[in-house]
Amino acid sequence: MRLAATGLRWVPALIIAAGCAVTGSAGPETSSAPTRAIPEARGEIRTLPDGTREALRYAGWPKTDFGRFRTYAYGDSRPEIAVQRGTMPAGATGDPKKGRALFTSRAKGPCTGCHLIPGDDVWPAGNAGPDLSTIADRRLTNEYLYQQIYDARVIFPQTAMPPWGASGAFTPAEIVDLVAFLQTLKGPRPPEKDPDRDPETRTKPVGFGDNLDPTNNPAVLLAEGAEAQWKARGPGGKACADCHAGGADAAMKGVAARYPKIVPRYGRVMSIEDFLSAHGPETTGTPLPMESEGNLNLTMLVKMASNGMPVTIDTDSPETRAALARGRAGFYRRVGERNHACADCHTPEKGANKFLGGRFLGDVTSGLTRHFPTWRTSQNQVWDIRKRMQWCMTPLGMNMLPADAVEYAEIELYLTSFDVGKPLNVPGIRH
Amino acid sequence: MSDIGKVRVRIPSSIKAGDVVRVRTLVIHPMERIERDAQGKIIDKKYNYITKVTVTYLGKTVVSFDTTQSVSENPFFSFAFKATDPGQLKVAFTDTAGGKYEGTADIKFS
Amino acid sequence: MTEQHGFSRRSVLGTLGVLGAAAATGALARPGRATAQALGMQETLDAGLKRVFGGRPIKDAGGLVKLDVPLIAENGAVVPVSVEVNSPMTPSNYVKHVYIVADKNRIPIVTRVAFAPEAGQAYMGANIRLGETTDVRAIVEQSDGTLLQAKREVKVTVGGCGG
Repeated sequence: MRLAATGLRWVPALIIAAGCAVTGSAGPETSSAPTRAIPEARGEIRTLPDGTREALRYAGWPKTDFGRFRTYAYGDSRPEIAVQRGTMPAGATGDPKKGRALFTSRAKGPCTGCHLIPGDDVWPAGNAGPDLSTIADRRLTNEYLYQQIYDARVIFPQTAMPPWGASGAFTPAEIVDLVAFLQTLKGPRPPEKDPDRDPETRTKPVGFGDNLDPTNNPAVLLAEGAEAQWKARGPGGKACADCHAGGADAAMKGVAARYPKIVPRYGRVMSIEDFLSAHGPETTGTPLPMESEGNLNLTMLVKMASNGMPVTIDTDSPETRAALARGRAGFYRRVGERNHACADCHTPEKGANKFLGGRFLGDVTSGLTRHFPTWRTSQNQVWDIRKRMQWCMTPLGMNMLPADAVEYAEIELYLTSFDVGKPLNVPGIRH
Repeated sequence: MSDIGKVRVRIPSSIKAGDVVRVRTLVIHPMERIERDAQGKIIDKKYNYITKVTVTYLGKTVVSFDTTQSVSENPFFSFAFKATDPGQLKVAFTDTAGGKYEGTADIKFS
Repeated sequence: MTEQHGFSRRSVLGTLGVLGAAAATGALARPGRATAQALGMQETLDAGLKRVFGGRPIKDAGGLVKLDVPLIAENGAVVPVSVEVNSPMTPSNYVKHVYIVADKNRIPIVTRVAFAPEAGQAYMGANIRLGETTDVRAIVEQSDGTLLQAKREVKVTVGGCGG
């Protein structure tokens, strides 16, 4: 596997970076193309001396290997988790107390992420799924409820409800406890003391204010530091400024508005981040691996030069149309342990403009890309959209692809098609 | 974090003599939080966080903040001062590692 | 507990050291500052309030203190707080201090802001950390020693993915 340009440290021999290996049901370990990302962003899986596999991800992220479940990789031809009819264990009587604990456990779902139930301690429940507060009044059989949790696709083939039993996320005994708990949820509903508890009446998030105010958004201050980077000579003896005269703001005006795009030199869709990771080493000799501080800061600098200008990506050429179609297929592709597609949360027909736990889900049709890279207040870091994608799929149980994977780039292209005509506004500031 | 200590001070674009002016300021700083080990015991080490923000105007302290680890990373502060004369407004930050950082704004009347 | 004691000692020394250095450079405006209560201690809310205010009565501020906090904070890392006190800010009648307190934080006394009358307005804003859903208070100390308080609950929210 080709390593990125000089400057990257050799990763320890423990790491198996088998770009193309498909080991039976374990699945491919990385997307098959070479990557120019920092080690934590490559989606690598390593095998420890005791034989267990763990994922190398960003600091603080879980290390769980989700190799059993399919990914976005174009070479990953595994089907989604097979639809399965579950059989409720005979004579099982569940424990409603255990069931409630499982329902609210963040180590599992939590189920409250999508479903409201009664309780002052239920904070914050979501409404991406139906309100279950009085589900027992519907007098559904235990077997029906069991199947809904085990694999709801048997009943509703297009459901976004994860196949909790079929994937093994919940054991049959746990599902029995959950069913017993649900059967205790009879009306009448207790009066709502706090309108924010119920996601239907909850105050919507107000955001973090003016994203371009340097006393409000630390990313703006950090992007200013990239001006010096623009002028700095790389190992090759040249600076960005040597070829791109007039300062970054003038030289790069309008450039970012046309990305992501197919870059003929590299034969693939690239965002500004992707492009810089290849262009930097080739011109100035400076390595700018994906997800490095240098790459993110320069990306912000380049994009800010187009702030206020409408996104004008190509959506017409035959090659771009084909890439858009692949990106759209990726957006609708069911992946991971939870068997979710981006579309399950981010389209108005499904979860968009509803709460997932305490998070208000964005609507792809409103345009979700033009504020990236964004400052994230919860992380105190700048994130580009690739890292956001990589994070999103981790709790959903999918091994991440490298940050510069063409699969992500084409999904990003599809997302950006909804920003066309809308003004760039970088860096954003978000939770 | 090589940007530690970068300060930005913002004042309104137009100030008249006698105005009470609101000022916004941000400083890049980790404001290190107390770390605990797997058993929940506090890890004994020197934490680097800002403890003092001093605002001086025409050489006199008008506002000061005593701050703690309960203040956010890359902290934002805002305050007011009465603009009586043209001159310098200075915001100075001090952290537990002995770091001193400052930002200034030139107060002019328009 | 040894660690807690050791930490608070370091914190007190740190704060006093800073005050001492500031005094040496003449940056302190008023002589009373050098004896100011140390901040940054991990303690319960009650212990903190007792330590800083003794048993002095803290009255509800009514409409005099405007405390601005979000109803729901998207995360506990950055929660904007601002306080505006209705005060003439004259040398005989001004706001000396505004304390921001987060009841359930491990370090509940978040910050103390000191004002000179030259501030013109008893106004402050800061971004604070909240460990969990909690009441946030602004405790205002007037120049005559009166203590007033305004408080609001801030709910800290989390995502629904379990991640």
